[in-house]
Amino acid sequence: MSWQRPNHPEWRELAQRWLCVAVMALGWSLAAQADAPYALIGQSAPDFALHAAVGGNARLSEHRGEVVVLSFWSSRCTPCRTQLAALNRSLTTYHSAGLAMFGIGVDDDPAQAREFARSASVSFALLLDPAKGVSRSYQVDNLPMTVLIDRSGTVRTVLRDYSPESEQLYLQQLRALLNE
Amino acid sequence: MLQMTRAISEANEAPRRATPAALLAPLLAVLLLAALPPAALGAPPAAPDAATPAAAASAPTPPGETAAATSPDSPETRGLDQEIQDLKKDVVDLNKDLFILEEELLFPANTQVAVFLSVDVGQFFGLDSVQLKIDQKEVINYLYTPREVEALLKGGVQRLYLGNLKVGGHELVAFFNGKGPNQRAYKRGASLRFEKGVGAKYLELKIDDRQRKLQPEFEIKDWE
Repeated sequence: MSWQRPNHPEWRELAQRWLCVAVMALGWSLAAQADAPYALIGQSAPDFALHAAVGGNARLSEHRGEVVVLSFWSSRCTPCRTQLAALNRSLTTYHSAGLAMFGIGVDDDPAQAREFARSASVSFALLLDPAKGVSRSYQVDNLPMTVLIDRSGTVRTVLRDYSPESEQLYLQQLRALLNE
Repeated sequence: MLQMTRAISEANEAPRRATPAALLAPLLAVLLLAALPPAALGAPPAAPDAATPAAAASAPTPPGETAAATSPDSPETRGLDQEIQDLKKDVVDLNKDLFILEEELLFPANTQVAVFLSVDVGQFFGLDSVQLKIDQKEVINYLYTPREVEALLKGGVQRLYLGNLKVGGHELVAFFNGKGPNQRAYKRGASLRFEKGVGAKYLELKIDDRQRKLQPEFEIKDWE
């Protein structure tokens, strides 16, 4: 008994239709994922304590009463460096208004993350999350990703990319949170 | 249970014992309601809403009266503030009571074990993290921030672990990670075999400086 690949025109048509349906379904699911609202908005920010590559160890709950900005980065992410520099500028401006900032590296290799952290030359603590426990709890699905937490410890805004527009939006949201 | 049975039986017997006057009462009430004018019963909900702004606009109110009612120094506002403060105090008291109750339920005194940590001087050791194992099982791995280390150096004592253990012999092992003399990575361990009795057990991890050897010293103290 031999098995032959069907070569009938009906089979081909059927296969093409299935392929088309599968591609459309994949496209829809990806689009839905991209537009999915961030589930932590309005929720209490998950607490964490992490080792620092630059600066001291940090625990989020110690900063209740301050507006906290978390920026998830990786040494392989090119826009992350630009974004960290922009965040550093905003920290310099708003630090006295009660702003705390942490960069959380998601690299698997802590040595590589440390090297990146040293070269980043920022004035806030760059933390290491090689086990990715914190990244998972904050549902990081894109890099760089910035999370803004208000003074009561509630997640208020998330920015999933870095661009001049998103920087403007970040500054606008940050000012609103600092004024609350 | 007996009381409940009685209550149920009384409820079942109640209709049987109803008097003619009791039967007439609902009938009279219905007649009375039918006789009353609709205004006395209350107009439909939409009507007052529509009428209220017009009435408010037509009825002139003295400006001083409104300002007095909304000013922060008015007696009404002060009374409201006092009520809010009282409510806040009640919530804090309730939270405290619930916390105590939770601790008593989760960690009863006969099985309770608490481990505390204190640091004295800390010249030769910069604390980074402490890993605690009881009977070869990791119960906590705590990472210290600069603020926490500072608080410990000022004389603070931290309750590192609170748990339950059955009566008998147990072993506690603590690993201290941090920076030793000359800012080098430093890891040391300390262990203690202890006997858990009927009452609560309190243990203390002490980090001290040994001046003669210019080294830190780690000790586990059993508070009898």
